[in-house]
Amino acid sequence: MLFVDIRKQFRTAGSPPFLLDVRETFAPGFTVLFGPSGAGKSTLLDCISGLLRPDAGVIQFNGESFFDAARRFSLPAQLRRTAYVFQSLALFPHLSVEANVAYGLSALPSLERQERVERILPAFHIAALRRRKPAELSGGEKQRVALARSLVTQPQLLLLDEPLTGLDAALRQAILQDLRAWNAAGRIPILYVTHNREEVDAVGERVVALINGRVQESGAPRAVLDAPRSIALAQAAGFENLLNAHVVEQRPADGVMRVALASANCELEIPLGTAPPGAAVQVAIRAGDILLATEAPRALSARNVLPGTLDALEPRGSLVVAQVNAGARFIVHLTPGAVRSLQLVPGLRVWLVLKTHSCHVVLP
Amino acid sequence: MNFDALLLSFRLAAVVSAILLMLALPLAYWLAFTHWRGKFLLESVVALPLVLPPTVLGFYALIALGPRGPLGRLWQFLFGHTLAFTFAGLVIASLVYSLPFAVQPLIASFESLDRRLLEASSILGASRLRTFFRIILPLSWPGLITAVVLSFAHTLGEFGVVLMVGGNLPGITRTVSIDIYDRVQALDFAAANHMALLLLAISFIVLAVVYGMNRRVWSPWLAK
Amino acid sequence: MNILPQIHQCESAALPLPIAAILLGFLFFPCARNAHAQSLRIAAASDLQFALGDLAAQYEKQSGAKLAITYGSSGNFFAQIQSGAPFDLFFSADIAYPQKLIDTGFAESDSRYTYAFGRIVLWLPPESPLIPANLQWNTLLDARIQKFAIANPDHAPYGRAAVAALQKAGLYERLKSKLVYGENISQAAQFVQSGGAQAGILAMSLTFAPAMKSGKYWEIPRDLYPPLEQAVVLLKSSSNKPATRAFLAFLHTESARATLARYGFTLPSISESREARP
Repeated sequence: MLFVDIRKQFRTAGSPPFLLDVRETFAPGFTVLFGPSGAGKSTLLDCISGLLRPDAGVIQFNGESFFDAARRFSLPAQLRRTAYVFQSLALFPHLSVEANVAYGLSALPSLERQERVERILPAFHIAALRRRKPAELSGGEKQRVALARSLVTQPQLLLLDEPLTGLDAALRQAILQDLRAWNAAGRIPILYVTHNREEVDAVGERVVALINGRVQESGAPRAVLDAPRSIALAQAAGFENLLNAHVVEQRPADGVMRVALASANCELEIPLGTAPPGAAVQVAIRAGDILLATEAPRALSARNVLPGTLDALEPRGSLVVAQVNAGARFIVHLTPGAVRSLQLVPGLRVWLVLKTHSCHVVLP
Repeated sequence: MNFDALLLSFRLAAVVSAILLMLALPLAYWLAFTHWRGKFLLESVVALPLVLPPTVLGFYALIALGPRGPLGRLWQFLFGHTLAFTFAGLVIASLVYSLPFAVQPLIASFESLDRRLLEASSILGASRLRTFFRIILPLSWPGLITAVVLSFAHTLGEFGVVLMVGGNLPGITRTVSIDIYDRVQALDFAAANHMALLLLAISFIVLAVVYGMNRRVWSPWLAK
Repeated sequence: MNILPQIHQCESAALPLPIAAILLGFLFFPCARNAHAQSLRIAAASDLQFALGDLAAQYEKQSGAKLAITYGSSGNFFAQIQSGAPFDLFFSADIAYPQKLIDTGFAESDSRYTYAFGRIVLWLPPESPLIPANLQWNTLLDARIQKFAIANPDHAPYGRAAVAALQKAGLYERLKSKLVYGENISQAAQFVQSGGAQAGILAMSLTFAPAMKSGKYWEIPRDLYPPLEQAVVLLKSSSNKPATRAFLAFLHTESARATLARYGFTLPSISESREARP
């Protein structure tokens, strides 16, 4: 069990300095640290690992004190038995894969060192690469070596900073599987930092959302990320549409309330909230939750149908991003197949369909 | 052709660069990695010999190493004669004179290292000493070579400091640069020319060998 | 410094140690130290560059001793000797420095010996269109002489003599702007010989050097400058006093005196030179 209660002034390049203020307990298993860039996630990991000294507070692990500002005590990073895989991986470029992996085991007798290395290389599928230097490895191979190097030391705590960025989905899955298998046996706290929504779902047993140095929410991934309660989190969690509106009326009997969009002459029906009529709110809608029709739809269960004009189409890999003006500007995600079969072109008159429960009220 | 002077110059340059390497490594390490606010003061002191005329250095060196100076008196107490006008005195004066040429390339090399590499080493349990020998030094090989080559070459070419501290004693403190000067003053231009050319050729060969050890394009894993 | 060579990376941990070992190996190189340990160490004013070289060769041949001579400015040697420079003998271009060394306890009081009187000449290289013997002081006033060299009067007796002569002739203020200073009289000669300066007031003894012989000169009248009485002293720091005294004795011999005369020095009479002058 890792207990962190710290404050630290820090600054990321280009933005004003702000305060990292975290009070959290991390249990064995995967905890995802989620938040936009500059939220302080890497700083938090640096403090936990001993690379940075917090300004105030304590860090404790299984009863052992890592850091105590009041007693001016900070356990050196070397002694925390913590593994930390950086975003840049920091593989030692002049050492072979084998030497990299064995680096943390110098205190062990050579026989045991050999044994551990021999066991972990095949576990991460890098045994064939043992004599290569990092410069000769692919992205995925490098990540595996970095993980192996950290895990071979049998750490009591594992910190991973965006370890799988840049890898394709299949590779990510494979590595995550290896990690999960490894953790099933050991059950140590693993802090996994990411700003990528998909990784949260793949990894997460628990999510801690960090915004501007503070923990906004924590809990199960669905709860935290699909119903974001703050704008910053909504933006971080990938709600492409954030619309200003004010409450028109509440309808408790139907379980909904009606809001009027600020920029458009239309109203939406969204899930019932506590805001009174007249209150200003923001409505967050995922681009992937909006349906597009080229004819006025009829007999739908959805309560929100908005006519509008298709302004632009932008292909982006496996999806097409459409910008629609339906009074307010909406971002909609479509598949290329849908674009073809509907014969969508800019300037076309379209209708947007939003389910009530796809609209989330976010407090400003 | 005065081989004594040539040999003396090479001995001086070799001894000075060897000792300087031992001194410069911890100094450069500290300057590269410390967060002390007063760091700039020490950096300026180290860089002083770059901007001071050799005669200034020579003047103060002679005072310090002579019979009236602190170092000179200590040496006299230990060995019965002063440091001035001896090979040992030249070594000490040259250590100060060539110090920035050893320290600065090392600092540049250390500072260009990816800090995350050093942090990874710490996280993996390595002490500062181990990180220094297994990560910092091997990755700073070019800086090391530059430091040694520069201090060697710089000491080889010394004139003003050596003249003031050395006394131009043949076989003991008459380096080849002073000898060339002497030959010119004696209007023996042929001898001066021969020695100058020989020194030029040897220096060029040393540098060419060092720079010719290039076998790989500079690797992209050094940050910045 | 962007001159980092591109070097093949090396895994070895203790790199600087083998380098240091190779370099320190140089320490044990057989050095000339031993050969020179037995030499007599002589500090000599630069005007003796060729004369003393000649004398030394003669002495080495006849006695088998080895002489290690360092030439330079008398004033510089004076300062170095007082800082402990390990010379056996000091040949000054004047008499004041040796006397001061005796007075301050750095030289043996009974060893002072005036070995020669020096002379200064106005010297021009052979290719110069001017003939100093005819023009005399007007040589320096000629527009074709843009610069002329003397030894630095701060610490070189020959430089002081040159300035004294110019002042006595009433020309110092007019010609001051044309002066260049050599660090010692040899360097002044080298300035002129190489063409950097078009003329120079030099030691006559230097004009007998092979490189200078074909030049043109005019001996500056002796009444224009105080006599350049040149003395030698045995230094207290000498580690080989008997051998040093032996060489000193050699200077008194006829052949030594004749050699000095050949280089244009005036010789003191035997009785004159033995008197200790204040």
